[in-house]
Amino acid sequence: MEMKWRNWLKNGWRAAALLPVLLLSGCSGNSYWIFDPKGIMAKTNLFYMIVDVVIMGAIVGLTALLVIWFMWRYKKGKSRGKYDPHWSHSNTIEIFVWGIPIVAVGFLSYFAVRGTFEINPYNPTVITHHMKPNGDPVEVDVIATDWQWLFVYPQYHMAVANELVLPVHTPVFFRLTSSAVTTTFFIPQLVGMIDVMPGMRTKNALMSNHIGEYQGIASDFAGAGTSWMTFKTKMVSAGDFSQWVQQVQKAPGSMTYASFNRFAQPYINVHHHVVYFSAVEPGLFDHVMAEVMRGKTWPLPPMMTENMVDYMQKQAAEHRD
Amino acid sequence: MLVDLPGGWSPLLGRLAWSQIPYANPILAPLFVAVVIGAIIILGLITYYGKWTYLWKEWLTTVDHKKLGVMYIIIGLVMLFRGFIDGLMIRTQQVWAVGPHSSGVFGSLHGYLTPFHFGQVYSAHGLIMILLAATPLLVGFMNIIVPIQVGARDMAYPYLNALGLWITAAAAALIMISLFVGDFAHNGWFEYAPIFELQYSPGVGVDYWMWTLQLVALGTTLGGINILATIIKMRAPGMTWGKLPIFVWTSLAANVIALTSFPALQVALGLVAADRYLGAHFFTAGMGGNLMLYTNLFWIWGHPEVYFVILPAFGMMSEIFPTFSEKPLFGYITMVLASMAIAGVSWLVWLHHFFTMGAGPFVNTAFSVATMLVGIPTGVKVFNWAFTMYRGRLTFNAAMLWAIGALFLLLVGGFTGMMLAIPAINYMVHNSVFVVAHFHSMLLVIVYAIFGSVLYWFPKVFGFKLDEFWAKTMFWLFSAGTVLVFVPMYMLGFMGMTRRLEYVFDTGWQSYLTVMELGIVVYVFSVLAFFILLYVSVRDHAKNRVGADAWGTSRSLEWMTHSPVPFYNFAVLPHINERDELAWRRQHGIDQVRPEHYEDIHMPNNTGVAIILGGLTFVLGFALTWRIWWLCIVSLLAIILLMIIRSFKGDPGYIITGAELQRMEEEAYRREAQVLDSHHSHPVSGGVVGNAMAYQRNDSSK
Repeated sequence: MEMKWRNWLKNGWRAAALLPVLLLSGCSGNSYWIFDPKGIMAKTNLFYMIVDVVIMGAIVGLTALLVIWFMWRYKKGKSRGKYDPHWSHSNTIEIFVWGIPIVAVGFLSYFAVRGTFEINPYNPTVITHHMKPNGDPVEVDVIATDWQWLFVYPQYHMAVANELVLPVHTPVFFRLTSSAVTTTFFIPQLVGMIDVMPGMRTKNALMSNHIGEYQGIASDFAGAGTSWMTFKTKMVSAGDFSQWVQQVQKAPGSMTYASFNRFAQPYINVHHHVVYFSAVEPGLFDHVMAEVMRGKTWPLPPMMTENMVDYMQKQAAEHRD
Repeated sequence: MLVDLPGGWSPLLGRLAWSQIPYANPILAPLFVAVVIGAIIILGLITYYGKWTYLWKEWLTTVDHKKLGVMYIIIGLVMLFRGFIDGLMIRTQQVWAVGPHSSGVFGSLHGYLTPFHFGQVYSAHGLIMILLAATPLLVGFMNIIVPIQVGARDMAYPYLNALGLWITAAAAALIMISLFVGDFAHNGWFEYAPIFELQYSPGVGVDYWMWTLQLVALGTTLGGINILATIIKMRAPGMTWGKLPIFVWTSLAANVIALTSFPALQVALGLVAADRYLGAHFFTAGMGGNLMLYTNLFWIWGHPEVYFVILPAFGMMSEIFPTFSEKPLFGYITMVLASMAIAGVSWLVWLHHFFTMGAGPFVNTAFSVATMLVGIPTGVKVFNWAFTMYRGRLTFNAAMLWAIGALFLLLVGGFTGMMLAIPAINYMVHNSVFVVAHFHSMLLVIVYAIFGSVLYWFPKVFGFKLDEFWAKTMFWLFSAGTVLVFVPMYMLGFMGMTRRLEYVFDTGWQSYLTVMELGIVVYVFSVLAFFILLYVSVRDHAKNRVGADAWGTSRSLEWMTHSPVPFYNFAVLPHINERDELAWRRQHGIDQVRPEHYEDIHMPNNTGVAIILGGLTFVLGFALTWRIWWLCIVSLLAIILLMIIRSFKGDPGYIITGAELQRMEEEAYRREAQVLDSHHSHPVSGGVVGNAMAYQRNDSSK
C-alpha cells in the first residue's frame, strides 16, 4: 500500500515538472518585443540571435537527446546496453568531443565579429552604409537625470522630457550622457542597449520604417525612480514630425543650463509627465557634461523612498506636479 | 571628517543612532522579535543540556578540517535559506506591483516594498547567494573532501583553516545584522559607480556591503592558500599528479582563481572606501575620477569568481557520475585540461559583463570570441559526463538525479550563455531578466551539484545515509520550482522586461510573473521537504548506517577510511597505486586489507584564537561601517596583538601513540562489522599484497 502511494507521489512530482508548459499556453497574446523588431538595428540583432540559436540549439538539443538515450539504455538492471566497467577512453570520441565545440565556436565567432560591426553604436554599418542622400538624419542629444529623460533636438533648438518623437525612414543619431548616475538607454523594438554615464558621451543610432508607439526603458538600475523612468517612442510620418516640431517650438517653457539644474533635481516620474521646451540653450549637452566633469552632482537625501507615499506627497509639494 | 556626512555623527557611536533601528518596520520588527525568541530558546536548550563545554571544545575551537567544513556548510545552508527568502520577497513584490492600478501597503505605492527596501532585498539576495551561500558551501566541501581524497590527516595549515571559517562567519553576521541595525546597499550586489558614492548612497548600506565583501574575500583567500598548499604538499605517498582525484583537480583550479582574483576585488573595494571615507575621487564622475574603472576592476574579479564557484561543482559532478555509473570517468586527462583551460580563460572575458558600456567593436569582438572559447572546455565536460554514463550501469538514486539535473541546467545555461557572448544579441538582452535567468541557470548548476554532494558525501561524514524518498521528493519539487520560475523568466526576457524593477509598468507581463510566484511556492515546499529529509534521516539513522564504502561502487580514497571519518582520517597513510585507488583495490581483492601495526601520529591542537579573531573582525567591520573610530582602533590593535602572541606561541601539536590508535581503529572496525553484519575475516598487511603496496611501510606523516 505504501509502495503504491509512493509510486503515485513519485510520478506526480515528475508530472509537476512539466506543468508550466500548460500554464504558459494561457499567456499568449502578449508581444515578444525582441522577436518583433520594428527598426533596422533591432532587426539585425534578431538575425544574429536566430543564427546562434539554430547552431547552438542543434548541438545542445542533440547532446540532451544523447544523454537521455544513455540514461535509458544503460539503466542498471535493464540489460539494454553492454556494461564495460573499464572503458574510459577513446581517441575517436575525444576528437569529436573537442572538435564539435571548436568548430561551433569558430563558426559563431565569424558571425560575432560581423554582427558587432554592423550594429556598432558609434557607426552602425547597417544604417550608415545604406543612407539615402536625400534623407537628412535627425540628431538627438539624450540627457538622463535622476530619474527623467531629456531629449534635446539641437537641429530644432527644442527639447522634450520623457517622450521621443522621430520620423520614419530617417536615420536618427543619438549622443547620450547622464547628469547624476549611470543607466542604460533601451528601446526593445527599435535599438539595443547603450549605457548612459555622467561625464561621458556615448552614441547610438536607429532607423525605423514602421509608424507606431514603442516602449523606451531605463534598463540599468539608477536608484529609487528607475522603475518609472520609462518613455514612449513615437515613430511618425515626415509630415506629422514637422507638425509636431512646430508645436513644440511654440511651447512656453525654455531650457537653459540654469533651468536644467532645477530639472535635474531628483524627481520620480510616477505620472509620466511629458514636458516640451522651446528655445534650448545651444550646446546644453556639452555644458552639462563639462559641469559634471568639474564635479557637479545632484545629491540624494538619505533614506529617500523609505516611505514612498510620504515621499510622493513631499515631491508634489516641492515640484511642479 | 574628510567627507560631508549627511546625518549626524558622534565620537562615541559614530553614525549609529536610535533612528537607525527599524523598530516601526512591519516586516523587520516582528522578524527581530522572532530572532530574539529563537536565540533565547537555542541558548536555553544548550544551557539546559549542559552542552556549552562540548560546543566549545568540539566545534568552536576545533581545527579538524571535517568539522570546519561542516560548519562552513551550515553557514552556507543558513545563508542559502536567507537568500531564498529574499528571492521570495522579490518575486512577491513583482507579481503584486504590476501596472498603475495595483495596490500598495506599508508605505509603498505598489506592492509591499518601497524602492528603498526592494533595492536592499535584491542586493542582499545576490551578495548572499554568491558569496555567503555558494562560496561557503563549496569551500566547506573542499575542506572536508580534499584532504581525505589526497590522503592527508588535516589541512596544511589547520589554524589558518579555522581562521578562514570564523572570518567568513563574521561576514555572514555583518550582513545579517544590517537587517536590524541601519540598512543594506540598494544598488545591486555588484554596485555601480558612481551611484555608490556618498552623494547618491548617503546611508550605511554601501558600507555594510563593502566590509562584508572585504571579509568574505579575506576568508576565501585564506581558505584558498590552505587548499592549494594541502594539494601540493600533503598528498599521500604514490599519489602523483596523474592520480589526483578529479574533484581535487577542480579544487586546485578553483583556488588558483581565488588566490589570484580576490586581491583585485579587495583593491577595488579599498578604492571605494577611499572615495566614501576619505573623499577621494577614484570612481566619481567628476574631478578626474573614472567610473568605468570600477566596473572593470570589479568584473576582473567577478568573472573568475564565477568559475571559482562553478569548477568545484563540475568536480562534484565528476565524482558522482562515475560512482553511480559503476565505471571510471571518461577522459580523465581531458577533464583536467578542460578545468585548467576554464581557469585560464576565466581571466580573459570580464568585459562581456558590460558590452553595452560603449567599448568599440574591436574590443567587444575580442572579448566576445574569448567568451565563446569558454564554451569549448565546458562542452567537453558535458560530453565526457555523457560518455561516462555510456556503457555504464546507472543507478538513479537521489544524488545521481541532482547531478543529472545539474547537467541539463548546464546545457540550458551554456546555450543561453553562447547567446549572450555575441554582442549583437547581448545588446538586446543585457540588463534584462533574460540575463537573470541565464546566470540563475548557471548558479543552479552549482546548487544542484551541492545538493547532490550533500547526499553523496553525507554518509562519509556522519556515518549514515539520508532518506532516499524525501531526497527524491525534494529533488522533484525543486526541479518543478526551477522550471516554473525560470522558463517564464527567459520568456519575459524576450518580451523586453528589464531587471530590478520595483514597479512593473507593463500589465502584459502579469501572467508570467504569476507563474513565477507559483514556482516560488513550489520551491517553498522543496525547502520543507529538505527539513523533513533531515528530520527523517536523523530519526532513522540507526537503520541507515553504512560502512567505509557507503555506496559500494565508490572509487576514490575518501571511501577507504571509516564512516564517519575518524579525526585523524587515516590511521596509516595508504599507498596510492592507481587513479581510482579504491576501485583498483576492489578489483584486485585487497580493498579489505588492514594495516598490521600502527605507529605514532602527530595531530594539531585545538585553538580558541581563531574564533576570537573572527569576533574581533566582526567588531572591526561593524565599527568601520558606522564610523566608530575608537572601536576601529581598539579592535584592530587587538587583532594585531593576538596574532603576534599566537605566532610566538605556535602549536607544537600532540602525539597519538600507536597503541591508542590501534584501540580506536579496532573499535571502529567492530562498529563497522556490526553495521555490515559481516563476519568474514580481513587479511592483514604490512604493506605488500601480491604485487601491490597497500600501505606505506614507514609512516612519515609528520
